[in-house]
Amino acid sequence: MKHPSQEILALQASGDLGPVARWKTARHLKGCPSCRDEVAAYAEMREILPELSQIPEVPWNRIAAEMRANIHLGLVAGACVRENAAQASPLSVPLFGAARAMLAFGGVLAVLVAGFVLQHAAPVSAAEAVVQATSKGVQRRVGDQTFGLMNSTGARDVTYSVNAQGSMGARYVDPETGNVTMTKVYVE
Amino acid sequence: MWSNVKLLLPATLLLSAASVLAQDSAIPPGAVNINLPPNCPLSLTSLTMADSRATARGAALALDLHMSATLRNNGANRVHGVTLRVVAQEVTLGGKGSVTYPSLNVGPGETFQVRIDMQLMRPSQVSGGPLVQVDVDGVLFQDLSFFGPDRLNSRRIMTACEMEAQRDREHFKRVLAQGGKPALQREMLSSLARQSEVSQLAVTVKRTGRAVTTAATTAPERSENFAFLQFPDSPVKPLSGTAQIAGSEAHAPLIEVRNQGSKAVKYVEMGWIVSDPSGKQYMAGSLPSADSDLVLPPGQNARLQQQSTLNFSVKGQPVNVQKMVGFVSQVEFADGKIWVPNRQNLENAMLLKVLPPSAEEQRLTDLYRRRGLEALAAELGKF
Repeated sequence: MKHPSQEILALQASGDLGPVARWKTARHLKGCPSCRDEVAAYAEMREILPELSQIPEVPWNRIAAEMRANIHLGLVAGACVRENAAQASPLSVPLFGAARAMLAFGGVLAVLVAGFVLQHAAPVSAAEAVVQATSKGVQRRVGDQTFGLMNSTGARDVTYSVNAQGSMGARYVDPETGNVTMTKVYVE
Repeated sequence: MWSNVKLLLPATLLLSAASVLAQDSAIPPGAVNINLPPNCPLSLTSLTMADSRATARGAALALDLHMSATLRNNGANRVHGVTLRVVAQEVTLGGKGSVTYPSLNVGPGETFQVRIDMQLMRPSQVSGGPLVQVDVDGVLFQDLSFFGPDRLNSRRIMTACEMEAQRDREHFKRVLAQGGKPALQREMLSSLARQSEVSQLAVTVKRTGRAVTTAATTAPERSENFAFLQFPDSPVKPLSGTAQIAGSEAHAPLIEVRNQGSKAVKYVEMGWIVSDPSGKQYMAGSLPSADSDLVLPPGQNARLQQQSTLNFSVKGQPVNVQKMVGFVSQVEFADGKIWVPNRQNLENAMLLKVLPPSAEEQRLTDLYRRRGLEALAAELGKF
């Protein structure tokens, strides 16, 4: 059986696939428990990291300034080339002369640098730690890092408690040991 | 040194392997460091980490840890509670938690099982260091003596649990003695029904001020006063209190209390009930005294104040806070003794609707549900 890629499964979990791809993936998921688990894990991760669904803050002003500078540089370089071309016979200028080659190289470099900067943009993360209860336990979250104490499998009647000093706890009877278990996660 | 290397190695290999292969890998037991000091009355007899997995998800590494440990009581006293401190990479991640097992009854030489289930998510490029460090923070014995560094105030927490446990066991034993097993059964059914009716809020906690939201969603902030439930036998009396309320968010709760008893007090904790516009009440949380060096002599006042922000919701819908009620839920005296409300105080109609049962009542009702009335009566007979 050919499985959808991780990207497709992640998009399926977030509901961002197109209608045809969504239908195809849903059909596959009906018969594939491992991919269903993957989609469930992605969906859970989205629940854990709500800021993933938010649009990160993009430094538009800086990008716009860089684009303006690149356009200006291109126009100046183009003007230089036109002046040289007007003075010289077309046949006397080699096809890959130094100016053209440098211009082309500069353009490629600008594209690569822009791509690198955008690809490796600094992650946007909430600076402040938050503690919250999830369906599986209590979790502390700072940006994309989480720390959670989960309720034991099969735990029922879980009672959550909050301390205004900055902690949250869960309490349940462990179904395996019969012992009361109290977990607590601290903001700091 | 060598032990550090032994811990570093599996963790580094694990993280590297998971990030390179981008698939599940098992977490070796060496990735968890359980630290029991030499004079600890507990010893580790076994540790398993079945089904613990590390999974690379994009640029992050998700770790699911399921630890099951067997501990032996090597002391001469019966163990009634244990708190373990759980820290994940203290410097880089900052995740800190505790797992407490109250209501234990482990005799000398006996063993008991503890389970810790954790979930961590961290950048996959970070490597090295033990994934998780587990320390004993405290062991509480039957005579309320204590062992441990008590970095998480586990002595007070477990002693309060023990006081509640003694109170509730006495209550159920009295019911059994006066009305027999049918009366105990009625009491259990009543408790189970009450537990099923308690509505729980989903709360998020931040240490500092209000969340920054858009102008369209920001509710105006107002100062809301607390109303108080007074318990006649409480050593501390709440006088006045406020919190800043904005929609479903409560910020900077402040309550002034007076020590009306004859002993100096070093810790006070208030229960905090909120009600929504329909009048439905929820247990919102507890408000402790912030000052760790608090000494409140008889007749003096003190302020319980926190700068944290609590956000309330139910099933994803924000709960707009309309009214607030406070009550004294715990007092620790300077001599280390603990006061908790008695059963009569708790039978107040308002508290019955919103307060969850004590840990011991939860354990006993669970025992009744799973093993029946005879097992419950036998359990009560052990104390």
